[in-house]
Amino acid sequence: MKLPPNVSEADFTAALKEFAAVVGGQWLFTTDDDLYLYRDSYSPMWDEADERTASAAVAPDNADEVVALVKIANRYRIPIYPISTGKNLGYGGAAPACAGSVVLDLKRMNRIVEIDERHGYVVVEPGVSYFDLYNHIQEKGLKLWIDCPSPGWGSVMGNALDGGVGVTLAPYRNHFEAQCGIEVVLPDGRMMRTGMGALPGAKTWQQFRPGFGPRIDGLFKQSNFGVVTKMGFWLMPPPENFTTGVVTIPRFHDLIPLIDIIGRLEQSKIVQGLWMLSSPTTGTRGDAAHGGGAPKIDPAILPVLTDPDGVNMDRLDAAAQAAGLPFWACEFNLYGPKKLIEAQWECICDAVGVIKGARFKLNEIRKLPLPADELKSLFDVGQFGIPSLRTFGLGPMVSYEGEDVVGHIFFSPVIPRTGEAAIEAMEVFAAIARKHKLPYPPLQFPSSIFERAFLFAVGLPVTRSAVVNAKIRDVFRELVVIATARGWGEYRTAPAFYDLIMETYSYNDHALRDFLGTIKEAVDPNGIMSVGRYGIWPRHLRDAGKNGR
Amino acid sequence: MLTRRTLVGAGLAFAASACAGGFGACGSTAQRKPDARPIDALLIDETIETPPQMAAFIESAARTLPVVGLQLDAAAYAKLIGVLGKSRAIVGISSGATLFCLERMAWDHGFRLTQRTDHCAGDACLEDVAAILSGARALAASPLILVRTYRPSRADGMLHAWVMQKSASLPIRQGRREV
Ligand SMILES: Cc1cc2nc3c(=O)[nH]c(=O)nc-3n(C[C@H](O)[C@H](O)[C@H](O)COP(=O)(O)OP(=O)(O)OC[C@H]3O[C@@H](n4cnc5c(N)ncnc54)[C@H](O)[C@@H]3O)c2cc1C
Repeated sequence: MKLPPNVSEADFTAALKEFAAVVGGQWLFTTDDDLYLYRDSYSPMWDEADERTASAAVAPDNADEVVALVKIANRYRIPIYPISTGKNLGYGGAAPACAGSVVLDLKRMNRIVEIDERHGYVVVEPGVSYFDLYNHIQEKGLKLWIDCPSPGWGSVMGNALDGGVGVTLAPYRNHFEAQCGIEVVLPDGRMMRTGMGALPGAKTWQQFRPGFGPRIDGLFKQSNFGVVTKMGFWLMPPPENFTTGVVTIPRFHDLIPLIDIIGRLEQSKIVQGLWMLSSPTTGTRGDAAHGGGAPKIDPAILPVLTDPDGVNMDRLDAAAQAAGLPFWACEFNLYGPKKLIEAQWECICDAVGVIKGARFKLNEIRKLPLPADELKSLFDVGQFGIPSLRTFGLGPMVSYEGEDVVGHIFFSPVIPRTGEAAIEAMEVFAAIARKHKLPYPPLQFPSSIFERAFLFAVGLPVTRSAVVNAKIRDVFRELVVIATARGWGEYRTAPAFYDLIMETYSYNDHALRDFLGTIKEAVDPNGIMSVGRYGIWPRHLRDAGKNGR
Repeated sequence: MLTRRTLVGAGLAFAASACAGGFGACGSTAQRKPDARPIDALLIDETIETPPQMAAFIESAARTLPVVGLQLDAAAYAKLIGVLGKSRAIVGISSGATLFCLERMAWDHGFRLTQRTDHCAGDACLEDVAAILSGARALAASPLILVRTYRPSRADGMLHAWVMQKSASLPIRQGRREV
């Protein structure tokens, strides 16, 4: 029997018995076969002594059962680790942050508590997945759209609590920013509601985020201060139409004015859809990733792209000019009434038109929803608010260092929304990839998913070889050091790196970490809740955190 | 010319008419060994290129059990959940990438992967599936560690024939619930 840290076998056995009495024995999982499902399939520590595996899992059906379980955990000081659907692949899967924790599996709590078309919101329990919510909206014929991450099997709540993101309109893409109202069971077993929800019988819980007094919702993102049992989210009315508009600009350094111009358009809320950078020098955007075979690259450009010393941007720029190819392409997703799309596009053309040689192409404006057959043929449908698992369609890269690749971990730094930073990040991360022979595209571009900063996510291969995984962890650490030195911090990370990343947020001798530690002591004196998550540890287990740095 | 998709689609349409009597009515094939545990559905990955024999195979399989085309999208998800809810054992052919997703969705419905073979060619997978459907190959009693180690990839060109069976654990995901 695997035991939680600092818990005797007798106490653990007694606690499990009490857990079973609350939920029913069939919802307490202790066999190896069942606990296998709570291992992180993408763990970079698979089968190593430090792999974070659960000692048991328990699956309540409702918030009252959660309250009872939390109280028992407190009495026996059992670390519990709530998950919603536990599909956090790339950032920890269903595994706990601290080995030996009991996973509180909330999948059974899958009620859509309330959905309001008039005000555009939904209140969900943890087990409601994007698939569930989407299918519910379709079946009821509600005029609502969701914003979903690439994998549609995840939880609306779990994704938001981990800081997840989607791909439609800016106000909805950052899922925690699109939440309005949280119900949470605090570590002492007391239930609390945030915002207007604190007013009994409130009629505006999902309509007025600030509430009264300090706004504390953010304390429940990437933290360990409670089990969230209900959460409200803002949804959008379905846009009438969709199209993409493509801007190309000729020179490598044109990226700098381009990003500034788009930034102004975004700050003015003229550009609200996601926009994606690519380079015609590497072929059509995403061809290979979309299963359409390798992109067609101009033969004159190929030698520059495949140079073993890395892509020299000046040479690539010159080669692109000689081949008559623009260096950059930027594709905008445009939504809304036809006249709004046309007006947005006109604004984009006017603004970007100051860059010499800029070219513009607005594709056909299509009425939504698109026909099912057409949707079927697309690689991704997230931009239409439709969840899928197509992102897994090809799977991860096949092999690294002679080992089968089974998944990946994301290194996810946030970099300034400038052309200068984008160019610097592209060069810096490509150099690391070359040094370690990582499977990496010749050019990788930052993502505009956040509103005011770029995300530069790098997927690192995970294998089942401890040696290769140890190397990847070293590469990860190297990336963190390099990024931190440049002032680029990670927005999210896998449990194996929680402490490493929290260590980098060290302003004024770790004032932030200490403050979070103080809150932890106050609200969770026994240190039972999601121990170690995002580098926040109870006092008695802080040494475990230090080992992780 | 039949494309693979129309082919799977045809198989599905056929299955729907052949199995109008419901799942239970389709649980065994004519050639099945009498003591073999019935397979409740055949799942075919629609994202892979499959050999021409697949057409004939699906058509014959569809006479006796539902054939479900697997796509990694919301509509297919709803269909899949329906199949998992009514089945105790399912057999399929897919890439590692699709199997990876399917396996995890099936876990939530109480299923475990209990058999898996790996082939570069689709017809070898067909043979495996045929053997399982006819009962010539017995179903494993419990999940084997070995069946879990496969590449979750389509890019490697590998196809897998597999079996998933309901385990002793209850399905943790029930139907969607509204308050
Ligand atoms: C190929 C691929 C593509 C991906 N694309 C994206 C993407 O586009 N966008 C994106 O955001 N992510 C992406 N991911 C990462 C991840 O798969 C998703 O974010 C996924 O939605 C997270 O899993 P989940 O929703 O099941 O959340 P969970 O795993 O249920 O939750 C995540 C964490 O939040 C905490 N938590 C969850 N529920 C509660 C609760 N009720 N109370 C307290 N704490 C809780 C737990 O610590 C848990 O570990 C991708 C992953 C892969 C492999």
